[in-house]
Parts: sequence; C-alpha cells; structure tokens
Amino acid sequence: MVEIKLKLKKKPELPLEADIITPDNFVGKSVADIKKLELYYGKEVVKLGDFFDISGKSTDINDTKIIIDGDLSNVKRIGENMSGGEITINGNVGMHVGSQMKGGKVTVNGNADDWAGAMLQGGELEINGDAGHYVGAAYRGFWQGMKNGTIKVKGKVGNETLAWVNGSKPGKRFPKLICGSAGAFLGIHSHGGIIIVEGDCDRCAGADQIRGAIVVKGKVTKILPSYKKIGEVGEIELPNGEKLTGKFIEYSGDHSVDKNHSKIDKKTGEISKSSNGRLYIAA
Amino acid sequence: MVERKIKTVYDVVCPFCGTLCDDLEVDIDIKEDSVIEVRNGCQIGTKKFFSSNPSGHRYLKPRIKANGEHKEVSWDEALDAAADILVKAKRPLLYGFSSTECEAQSKGVELAEILGAILDNTASVCHGPSLLAIQDVGAPLSTLGEYKNRADLVIFWGSNPVHAHPRHLGRYSEFVRGYFRKDGRNDRFIIVVDPRNTHTAQIADLYIQVKPNEDYELINAIRATLRGVELDAKEVSGVSIEKIRELVEMLKLCNFGVIFFGMGLTQTLAHHRNIDAAICLTRELNDHTKFLLEPMRGHYNVTGANQVFTWNTGYAYSIDFSRGYPRYNPGEFSSVDLLIKDEVDSSLIVASDPASNFPAAAVKNLFKHPLISIEPHETPTSAFADVVLPAAFAGIECEGTAYRMDKVPLRLRKVKEAPGECLSDKDILEKLIEKVKEKLGE
Repeated sequence: MVEIKLKLKKKPELPLEADIITPDNFVGKSVADIKKLELYYGKEVVKLGDFFDISGKSTDINDTKIIIDGDLSNVKRIGENMSGGEITINGNVGMHVGSQMKGGKVTVNGNADDWAGAMLQGGELEINGDAGHYVGAAYRGFWQGMKNGTIKVKGKVGNETLAWVNGSKPGKRFPKLICGSAGAFLGIHSHGGIIIVEGDCDRCAGADQIRGAIVVKGKVTKILPSYKKIGEVGEIELPNGEKLTGKFIEYSGDHSVDKNHSKIDKKTGEISKSSNGRLYIAA
Repeated sequence: MVERKIKTVYDVVCPFCGTLCDDLEVDIDIKEDSVIEVRNGCQIGTKKFFSSNPSGHRYLKPRIKANGEHKEVSWDEALDAAADILVKAKRPLLYGFSSTECEAQSKGVELAEILGAILDNTASVCHGPSLLAIQDVGAPLSTLGEYKNRADLVIFWGSNPVHAHPRHLGRYSEFVRGYFRKDGRNDRFIIVVDPRNTHTAQIADLYIQVKPNEDYELINAIRATLRGVELDAKEVSGVSIEKIRELVEMLKLCNFGVIFFGMGLTQTLAHHRNIDAAICLTRELNDHTKFLLEPMRGHYNVTGANQVFTWNTGYAYSIDFSRGYPRYNPGEFSSVDLLIKDEVDSSLIVASDPASNFPAAAVKNLFKHPLISIEPHETPTSAFADVVLPAAFAGIECEGTAYRMDKVPLRLRKVKEAPGECLSDKDILEKLIEKVKEKLGE
C-alpha cells in the first residue's frame, strides 16, 4: 500500500471543510498537486497545503492510504463520498467523517463528532473512541439512511444513531453497527438495520422500528411500551445470517407502527414469528 | 384639562404572538404621536403597543460603541461601521428575523447570500424540532378557521395558551362559536396533556398529567393501543393503561379532532421525535376519524420567517451560505451550536434578543466577537452591541406582511410614525446591502 501523510500545521479556529481529503481526489496526483487542492475555511477558499504538511505519493485508488495526524476536531467531512482506499486519522476528528462513503475504510484513532458515517452506502468506518450523535443516520428529511457497510465504535455513540437505516434481505444489503454503548433513540425508524450494543443503552431503543434487529448486551434504561415480550432465547439469528449466543430476552416491535412486519395476527392474536423488528436484551 | 386630539385605527393586526389577532382598535394621540388606548387586545399584545411610545429605552439615533460606551452617530457612519464588520468576517451569523415583517426577512436572505453568511431565525430555539419532524414524516395541518368551525375534540399538548396565546382560546379553539359548533365551549371537549397543572389544564374537561420528558413514551403507548395491541406495561409516563384506553376511545369517537402542541413537546427531551410521534399518531387517527395538528408558534412572524427563508433558499432555518449555495443542517449551522463551539466571528441580530434566551456559554461567545444589533429599544443584546441600528416597530410604525401560525399571511398596519431617526428593518437592511456591495466592489 502506498502512503500519503498529512500533518495538520495548526488547529484551525473556524471549521475547515475538508471533503477534498479522500483517496479518490488524491489518486494519480503529485504532492505539489495535492497541496493545491482547494477547500473551504469559513467562506474563504484555501489550499490544502496552507493547513497541512503533505508527503508521500499515490498511484491506484485501492492501493492508497492517507494518514492524517493532529487535532482535527475542527476539520469536517474527511472521507466524504470516498469510494475506495484507506484513511487513518490519528486524533480527534470533526463532523461528517466518512459520511456517504461508498467503499474503502476509515479508521479514527480518537473521538469523532456528530454525523460520523452518516448515510453510509458501503465500506467500513472504525472509531476507536467515542462518537457523537447521529452516527450513520439519515440527513434531515431523507427517508433512507445508511444502506450498507459497517460502523464500529469502541466507545459510546450519541442519540439517534442509525436513524432511518435501510437494509434489505432480497437486496443483500445489511447495514451494521457495533458500539460500546448507545444514547437515546437508537435505530429510530429502522428499516432493517443490525445494531449490536456491547454495553448499556438509553431510552427508546428501536422506536418506530419496522424491520431489523437490535441486540443490547448490557442494560436498557427503559423499554418502549409498544414492544411486546416474546420470551427468553439462547441463540439469535441476525437478518444477515450471523448467529449470536447468550441468554437474551426477545421483544418484538415497534408495534405502534402501522407498517410493522412483525404483525399481530388478527384471528389468533399471536405475534408473527418473522425475524423482523426485534429487540434483544441480555437476561 | 388639556384637550387631546385622538385618531382611532381599526382592524389593526397585533404583532405579538402567532395568533396574530386582526381586530384590534388603537387610539393615537395625534399631537404627541403616541398610543393612548388599545381595545380588544390581550395583556401582552397591548403592552407591546404601549412600549412603542417614547421612553428612555427607545433608541432614536444609530449608535457605535467607542471605548466601551455607546455614542450617537449619523446613519452613514453607523452603516459604514456595520458593513465593515460584516465584510471583514470569515463566518458571520445573521440571526433573529421572527419579530419583523416578511419584506425585511427577504432582505436578510439577500444579505446572507452576498456575505456567504449563516442565516438562522428563532425557530432554531423554539419550533425548529417541529420542522425537522415535518421534514421526516409530513404533517396534516389546516388553517385555524377549520378548527374553529369543526373541531369537537381539542388537545393542548405541552402548550399553555391561557398565558402564551391568550386570545387563541376565544378566537379559535375553546370558547368561540363555530359554524358546526354553535354552542361554543359546550360543543367542544378539551384535553390538556402537561406535566404541570396549568391554567389551561384547569379549564379543561380532561387533564392528563404526564411525567416530565416522557411524552414520547405516552404517545407511543397511545399509538400501539390505537392499533389494538395489548400493552405489557401497567402504567406509561405516570398514566395508567385504563386511562390510555379511555383516551384512545375518545379520540376515535370524535368527529373532528385537533392537537395544538407547544414547547412542552418541542423543547423537552426527545425534541423533534416527540413531534414525529405526534404526527404519526394524527396520521393513524385519520383511519378512524378526522384529525389534524397545529404547532402553537410563539413570535408573531416566525412562521413568516420559515416561509420566506424556504421560498428563497429551500430551507426554513439553520442555513449556511459559506459555499455560495444554501446548505441546511440544524445542530451544525444553528445559532446556539455555532456560538457554543465558537464558530462564528461576527453577528448581526435583527429584531431578537439572544442574550436573554441563549445559554450562557453561547452568549459569552456572542459578545466576544463584533456584534451588530437592529433593535427598537435597549435589550441585553443591544446593550453590548458594537453597532446599534434603531428600528421602527413592524406592525406599529411601519407596514409589512406577517404569517399567522397556520401560515395565513396578513397585512400589518401602520398606526403611528416612528420616533427620531428610526427606520424600518427593511430600509435598514436595504441600506446595509448597498454598503456591503460597495465595499465588496460589486
């Protein structure tokens, strides 16, 4: 793998919108060309070389690895829309890291701000710290959020993580999130997301969930009243075929949604045994 | 006794709250050009008319801060200083706009576009969450006349109109006689859902006390019960399941229901998700009967600000022009978040007082950078402003258009002249745009 190294000279006072930093934009360019790439600092157009020391080279997109050092907590949109290659960020990073990316991998060795991996289309986002709110969520007004790919967060994620996540079994799209602990409204309006929480989870997990599975290995502050308890299970089969073992209490829902696939049979009153719309909480 | 010459202006639209009452009568002393009597208005609306009278805290001339003190200057000098601040800024913020008329708001959009600024209105600290929810799941809304003539079940959820919109009850929702509700109050069943036993709750037929910040769970339980699901829980958010079932029956059996919701839903925990759930509930209730909902907007023209911004840029609030085209993301481009993160380097506040309403951390950063205030009288914001541009009261001292909470536009009237050198917000922004263009060499 060919490496390009970026080092932030000084933490910018105003947010720097660095959606230009992707392997797609760097490929086939010399260091001098990369330094000339334009980005927005407030309303001013500046050059990448004004803010970063750059070294290395790039040839093929899938063979490109960008390593960024420094406190990037005021640098937004790194890796937005990228389709291949790798980005490693050593430090905290600002909003929208890896948002709408289609392929490749982004690793953050620090904390990420809000909207990390928002509307992910594919690829992998790994955050070895905490993440802000709206991880993998749909942008305002969009009805289809994260469609594919994986997000791993070692620490906690904020509120409304994976809102409007949109997976599909026939389409073989299984958007997945693994996180340490989660805030409120985890997987709200989920249409087939797979969410695994290693620790605890705040209120209203799986609100308005239509399809998908949420597994919480710790405690949940409060379960929504519209979730119905099914019973205890020893093994879980996730929508993508993966299996998890351990003692879990299975709930179905969200039964307040009209379109819910885990329907209640009007004649027998039983809850449909389909694998959709499930919440598992450690017993 | 000194003889007074009085002029009465009829059918005045009240520029205070979103109810925008249009039947006020205002008596003006012609000689002194001051308001001496307001009829038909509520307490808060009437007070606004009186506050336009000459007083010690009305600004009569533009001011610039020099050596920590305000000094009166000419319009030219003040506009020049203001334009200087805005042109030099890398990330200016334009905030306010909800208590002025639509023509001034559209000038604000123009200025923001020229400057590449961030444009926001007070919806971002009040009914912004309602707009977010509407963008997510749509909204079944109507005009207030429909509710007045048809509604037989009225729910006030997290709103207290007795104090916030005093004439709403008498004009549209509770006591008024409608075409199909000939007996007024007796023809309507009023439900109030609120953590506090408010004065609105005390005149309701049914009061449901919900635990603070747990509205989402209650709406969720109502929705599930409406679908015929037997809930596992015995009690949700402090309300028993029996009571929820009773409520659902009531909702299903009414002829025409409406939910009026206020800041009790939008600004408690879960914010826009409360509205999201309330909208979904309303939508599902339409399988059984006719049901609508309506946000109780606060400022008289905050709806207008959302409308004007939307038809100009596509977005209702929290708009960023820094890339030359409008982008929208509340939480990233909304004023409070920007100020707390210290991401703006100058601000222009139009007809608003963020210093009294924003969190302390945000206000601290607001005062750290150059600040311009377009304001009729002294407020905590204008007192710390570097440039103060004195404005006339829209709807009292100048004409304009305002949108009622149900998005009905009404023409504001001018009842008296503005004192001193005050200009309308629209004129001030127009002159400022000219100055800014001059400085940018356009």
